[in-house]
Amino acid sequence: MSTLSIVALVAAVWGQRLLGAFVIGPVLGRRPVVARAMGLLPAAVVMAVIIQLTVAEGKSLVVDERLAGVAVAGVLVWRRAPFLAVVLAAATVTALLRVL
Amino acid sequence: MAETKSPAPKALRLGTADVFAMAITFFALGVTLQVLLIDRGTSVGRALLASSLIFSATSQFAYLAVRDAGGGEWAAIAAGTVVATRFGIMSMTLSPRLPQVLWRRVAAALNSFDPNVAVAIQQETPKAVEREFWRTTAAMMIGWFLGIFVGTFIGNVVGDIDRLGLDAVFPAALLAIIGNLIRSGDGRVAAIAGGLICVVLLPVAPAGVPIILSVFGVAVAITFRRSGAAR
Repeated sequence: MSTLSIVALVAAVWGQRLLGAFVIGPVLGRRPVVARAMGLLPAAVVMAVIIQLTVAEGKSLVVDERLAGVAVAGVLVWRRAPFLAVVLAAATVTALLRVL
Repeated sequence: MAETKSPAPKALRLGTADVFAMAITFFALGVTLQVLLIDRGTSVGRALLASSLIFSATSQFAYLAVRDAGGGEWAAIAAGTVVATRFGIMSMTLSPRLPQVLWRRVAAALNSFDPNVAVAIQQETPKAVEREFWRTTAAMMIGWFLGIFVGTFIGNVVGDIDRLGLDAVFPAALLAIIGNLIRSGDGRVAAIAGGLICVVLLPVAPAGVPIILSVFGVAVAITFRRSGAAR
């Protein structure tokens, strides 16, 4: 990463966090529907990040060992397995499949 | 599953083992990112600076992905910026739930990530929100900073990081984090809709855009599940 990119991304990332908390939130957050929506945002956005990290290779969709690892993690999460078990299972399954 | 707001699925609190796992997760992420940065020609000093200050590993991954694909400097910065939009949403979600003390809200806003906000907003009182937020944050940060140092100086030895399955660690950790949200009907609909939006747009939209537009998954949840706590 270049120095320019570091400075620009620090400004962009920090700025967006402050903007969300102190400008956008207070202006929009007074309405109950908005409050309910904000509570649900992490589910939608984080799931999108999970999808991107799991099946994206650049701009293509790929099915590879990651998906198997994350799928196992999904089952474990649903069964309320401990955090550590979920993370270790994902890494182990993914690594094992790559060895095979 | 219940139609109305189910009797609070008991506020999620991370136990000691969970906090430890969180630290390990971010340790692995830090190592992964540093190895990648240095592999792509970033100097050791700038790699440490970047990962210490930017506070968005996703932005750094996005930046590198665009550069890898032959994109220019500003295109890469733009990609890194849009994927961080979600952190603005995170801080927006968290801020009203905290004790209303300005400097503490600023500090929390700047430290808003997916896991700590997801854990924090499941608490019931402002004090508990703040306490669990910083507990989770501390675990993440300790793991992260150890990870980027280890990744910088000995990560090169690891070689092929994907062989260890490290690339599956971050999505799996995120899944565990939103586990409780997904178990509520509203949260599940929002997550499925957000995920679908992302999958459909990934091949066609510019990098980062699918994640931003996934916020409309919330609109889907609210439209189809009127019975919730609205109004």
